[in-house]
Amino acid sequence: MSASARHGALSLAPTYYDALRRLTLELAGINLGANHAFLVETRLARLAREEGYESLDAMVNELFQTGGSRLAIQVVSALTERDTHFFKDKTAFKRLREIVLPDLHHKRGGGRIRILSFGCASGQEPYGMAMVLDQMRDELAGMKVDIVGVDYPSQALERAREGRYTHFDVQRGLPVRDLVQYFEPDNADWVIKDNIREQVEFRDIHLLSKLDSLEDFHAVMFCGSLPHYSAPARVRVLRGLSGLVKENGYLILGEGESLSQMNFGFNRVTTESGLYKKREVIIEPEVDPTLKIPNGRTTFG
Amino acid sequence: MKTCLIVDDSRMIRRVAGRIVKDLGFETLEAINGQDALDKCMLELPDAILVDWAMPIMDGFDFVKKLRELPGGDEPTVVFCTSVRDVSRIVEALAAGADEYIMKPFDSDIIESKFALAGLV
Repeated sequence: MSASARHGALSLAPTYYDALRRLTLELAGINLGANHAFLVETRLARLAREEGYESLDAMVNELFQTGGSRLAIQVVSALTERDTHFFKDKTAFKRLREIVLPDLHHKRGGGRIRILSFGCASGQEPYGMAMVLDQMRDELAGMKVDIVGVDYPSQALERAREGRYTHFDVQRGLPVRDLVQYFEPDNADWVIKDNIREQVEFRDIHLLSKLDSLEDFHAVMFCGSLPHYSAPARVRVLRGLSGLVKENGYLILGEGESLSQMNFGFNRVTTESGLYKKREVIIEPEVDPTLKIPNGRTTFG
Repeated sequence: MKTCLIVDDSRMIRRVAGRIVKDLGFETLEAINGQDALDKCMLELPDAILVDWAMPIMDGFDFVKKLRELPGGDEPTVVFCTSVRDVSRIVEALAAGADEYIMKPFDSDIIESKFALAGLV
């Protein structure tokens, strides 16, 4: 496609807005809300340009006429990408630092643990975890931590893998002491240092799919997205996460988020909602029905 | 109401930053260079200081060092707001007594985020 075509005028036929809203609900389980026209225009216009379409209309036409799954996922990823920044959910990071990591270290002593950032967008959350771990390395002596960030395949996830952030990204939520310790300037951007980047692995997955490709984790952080999911999608995603958390492992939700009436095998840890611990599965011993069970009375002959 | 002294030789920056800081609930004062800021601080210490680095007569770096030597001069929260983005200079600013650091250009989100990190809002 020619360069001039890439920069053509962008517009979208009004009839497509509802179709995009339904597609997002179906594929990602997320409600875009009533006023999603602005979101569609701004986010999909950029995607259309980057993918070389003449117009936003042309991209959406192709999406609904050919039904290409790759394009559908790209569109839904762009529409559901979270506007995030470093240490966005302060309460979740406080719980990770003050409760979850010390408890895992206390119980396990050393060894290797695995932490998941579910819906990691452009990577600020898992890199933030790696910074916290670096700052707690004396307290957590002997413990090795693998951090995995997962999200839909998207340009945000590619940025996460690169660990490259803009001037504005690194000045929202990130203390300047962390900036100079964990980043290096590179032209107008800031790039995360190798020792932090190497601790984090990024994987693209469909968040509502079966999560069997992921191994179990000692802690999962899932912040900021739950309220946007439809009720059935919320059940599906929480059930999937429940299967990923090891016994006595933690689920850390965002501030003000909770499992509500459902528990999915978790117990709430604090008096506030948002931090949950996976229950141990108690296996009852099998009883031989032919055996006589003592009734507690002692009989003397 | 908390007070914030905005120190910059650019009237435009003082005006833009002042509007943002007022929206965060501060009463704002202005100084046009480090010496002017120091004179004002000797009369009354503000709660927060947003200070540029490169200014005539006295730059922001010298101002912060002298401020921290004043009686009670360790109390105001100092946030640099400057075009200087070298890591070594940022480290020097922190060592001299800065609490946070903003690299220009800035917007209201950045000032609010940095003021929150510094415990001001």
